[in-house]
Amino acid sequence: MKTSFISSLAAQNSMRMTIQRSQVEIQKLQTEVVTGRYADVGESLGASVSRSVTLNREVLRLDTMKDSNSLVTQRLSASQLALEEMSNQAQELLEAFISVNSSNDATRLSVADQTITNALSSFTSAANTSSNGEFLMGGVNTDTKPLTDYQEAGNPAKATFDAAFFGYFGFTQDDPAAAGISVAAMDDFLTNTLEPLFSGPQWNADWSTASDSNVTSRISRTELVQSNANANEEGIRKFALASVIGLELLSAPISDEVRSLVNSRAIQHAGEAVNKIDNIRSKLGISENRVEKANKALEAQIQIFEIHVADLEEVDAYEASTRMKALLAQVETSYQLTARLQQLSLTNFL
Amino acid sequence: MSLSTAIRTAQSALSNNSTQTSVISRNISNASNPDYNRRSAILSTTTFGATVITTSRSQNQALLVQGLQGTAASSGQQTLLTGLERLQSIFGGNDYETSPAALMASFRDTLSAYAVKPSESTLAESAIADAALLADGLRTASKEVQATRLDADKQIELDVEKLNSLLADFKKANDAVVGGTRAGRDVNQELDERERILKQIVEIVPVTTNARDSNDLALYTAGGLTLFETSPRAVTFAPSAGYDATVTGNQVFIDGQPLPPGQGAATSGKGSLQALLQIRDDYAPELQRQLDEMARGLITAFAESDQSAVPTLPDMPGLFTWAGGTVPAGGTLQPGLAASIVINPAVVTASGGNPNLLRDGGINGAAYVVNPSGAASFSQVLDGLVQAFDADMTFDSAAGLGTTGTLSSFAADSLGWLEQNRSDATASYETKEAFRFRTIEAYSNLTGVSIDEEMSILLELEQSYKASARIISAVDEMMQALLAAA
Repeated sequence: MKTSFISSLAAQNSMRMTIQRSQVEIQKLQTEVVTGRYADVGESLGASVSRSVTLNREVLRLDTMKDSNSLVTQRLSASQLALEEMSNQAQELLEAFISVNSSNDATRLSVADQTITNALSSFTSAANTSSNGEFLMGGVNTDTKPLTDYQEAGNPAKATFDAAFFGYFGFTQDDPAAAGISVAAMDDFLTNTLEPLFSGPQWNADWSTASDSNVTSRISRTELVQSNANANEEGIRKFALASVIGLELLSAPISDEVRSLVNSRAIQHAGEAVNKIDNIRSKLGISENRVEKANKALEAQIQIFEIHVADLEEVDAYEASTRMKALLAQVETSYQLTARLQQLSLTNFL
Repeated sequence: MSLSTAIRTAQSALSNNSTQTSVISRNISNASNPDYNRRSAILSTTTFGATVITTSRSQNQALLVQGLQGTAASSGQQTLLTGLERLQSIFGGNDYETSPAALMASFRDTLSAYAVKPSESTLAESAIADAALLADGLRTASKEVQATRLDADKQIELDVEKLNSLLADFKKANDAVVGGTRAGRDVNQELDERERILKQIVEIVPVTTNARDSNDLALYTAGGLTLFETSPRAVTFAPSAGYDATVTGNQVFIDGQPLPPGQGAATSGKGSLQALLQIRDDYAPELQRQLDEMARGLITAFAESDQSAVPTLPDMPGLFTWAGGTVPAGGTLQPGLAASIVINPAVVTASGGNPNLLRDGGINGAAYVVNPSGAASFSQVLDGLVQAFDADMTFDSAAGLGTTGTLSSFAADSLGWLEQNRSDATASYETKEAFRFRTIEAYSNLTGVSIDEEMSILLELEQSYKASARIISAVDEMMQALLAAA
């Protein structure tokens, strides 16, 4: 008959199992103490893994957006810089026209002519600013120079103007016969022949290769902003119109009355140019402001998401290390007991 | 009473002693054999003192049955857990680096960076490279899932073979027990052997036993299928040569009846066979369906539509395409889609394609171009694609993750589904393993050998041997004295 209810095998096994389990647990806790998150996230979280994965990806996504927003900001501020220069040149142009208002003095006219020449070339180079390999004033068409240089030899816009003038009056603008042009005829030419060349489709053939639509960029999950401008904006057309009138007609051998008309038209267009270009600047300013706000919102969202991720996945390192210490003590006791119990056999005393 | 009776009694005491010592020595030599049940020599009084009438084997049927059930449950749960861990390992470690969810997210991020600067061709290339990684990830996952099924299938075949040979062994052991019992022999050795085989059988299929005349044992599965009754029943299984999403595995038949697979993550299946069937026919195919739905979602989200004023052409696969080459029907599972999803070669520079088609549209020809002027910073298409990850889609309910959701959330939910099951299976395994360990420990405590106890009995035997020897020498002295007097 059996009197003791413990078998040698069970006693050995149970000690072995205790040690084995503790060792597995220690390994897990060690990882948790070092990394600060669950040793096996999936096992600990179960279905919540879906949330943890989503949140982690969301943080990455918002980070990507923040990074790409810096690109948008850069594009916007470079565009602003170019537009500021363009606005300044429009102002110069306006002032040049005003300086020769109701004046026929050849010297002043030639000074004005020089100013207009400079303004147009500075304006053109500002409109052709490129940043990061993108032409900023090209709309979505950022890989070609948006504005042609009117003062370059063989420029199509210049040819178009010459042809239009000759077609209307029958002689070129340098011809002394120009003195005979009446105010009414010039008015008609400016309004009905010259202006449509700038406001109509001819603009895209002669002056601009830009696209009418601007680059749109996503700056947050819900917000899209325009991040550049294009050379087809009205302000730029007006500037070109004003400067062409100034370059071609102001110094032409025309009568004083006609020159006065030409100048007043040029002033009107240059004024509009300043105004419209400033409009674009303020539109882009709004975009800049939205990017800044979006960045702040992104920062805040990232922080919130990170807190959620931490809530889900992170273990209390302090608790883990306390548990680890307790376990180590337990394992040590277990080792000692095993050794003692092994000695505790009747065979040793017989 | 005479002196000669006294001597005879002492002699029988010596003989008993030697039998008992041999039993003890056998007990001690088997102290660490888990399949050995402790023996004890039972004495009975006779005219001449006592005699060993039988060696009894300690047993406890209730605990044995519990131990067998515990082993079957724990073995089944462990097999299921191993299978689920293998499926989970497809998706990488704690950060699920290789999961479609993670690959999708990193592709989406590169795509959104590209959308902000569509003029930069290196960004186009890196978006396409990430898309290729995603497609590759889906194909690899799909391949791994099917490899898991094939391995489970092979394991089932091995287990069935092993089960059949165990049942044949069981017949031998059972015959020996029955024959020995009928002949009135000591069958303890044979009982041990039979129990050892039984313990191995329950690791494969759950068994209920029915004890009959002459120590005969009949075995049934928990579901009532006959495994062994006088003779072993055939367990048959036809393995499949290869697996893809459309292949259904064969059933395991016990005595002509199919063995049902286990149910649930804390599986109802006991023994490795039911759990393997569950992995092969339940979990792996469900994961495959989810991968297929993800692949279908990607192809649909990236499909191109006819941009003509009056669209006549059908929608065609854009960046992602597959063996079928069409946009799959909405909301309907296309089995095995994930195994053939690829990047459209029309956008891959290495195969003569143009990465800018991703920005401009037109992978399927001029009618599908959205940006006809080829403007370099055109971002509408790209932005639309980025948004598509978070647009609601209809999924097939067969994938088991609900029918509406976004592509991103579907991919994340798929991981959640898998981890939920693995987490449940782990918890359940811990419980079942603890139960198994406790019942086996309890059984071992009742039926196993305690060396200390054997040693103390040996001491008693030593004393009684000395006493018997003393009696013999005393009787001898008396005889001597008697003879000397005569």
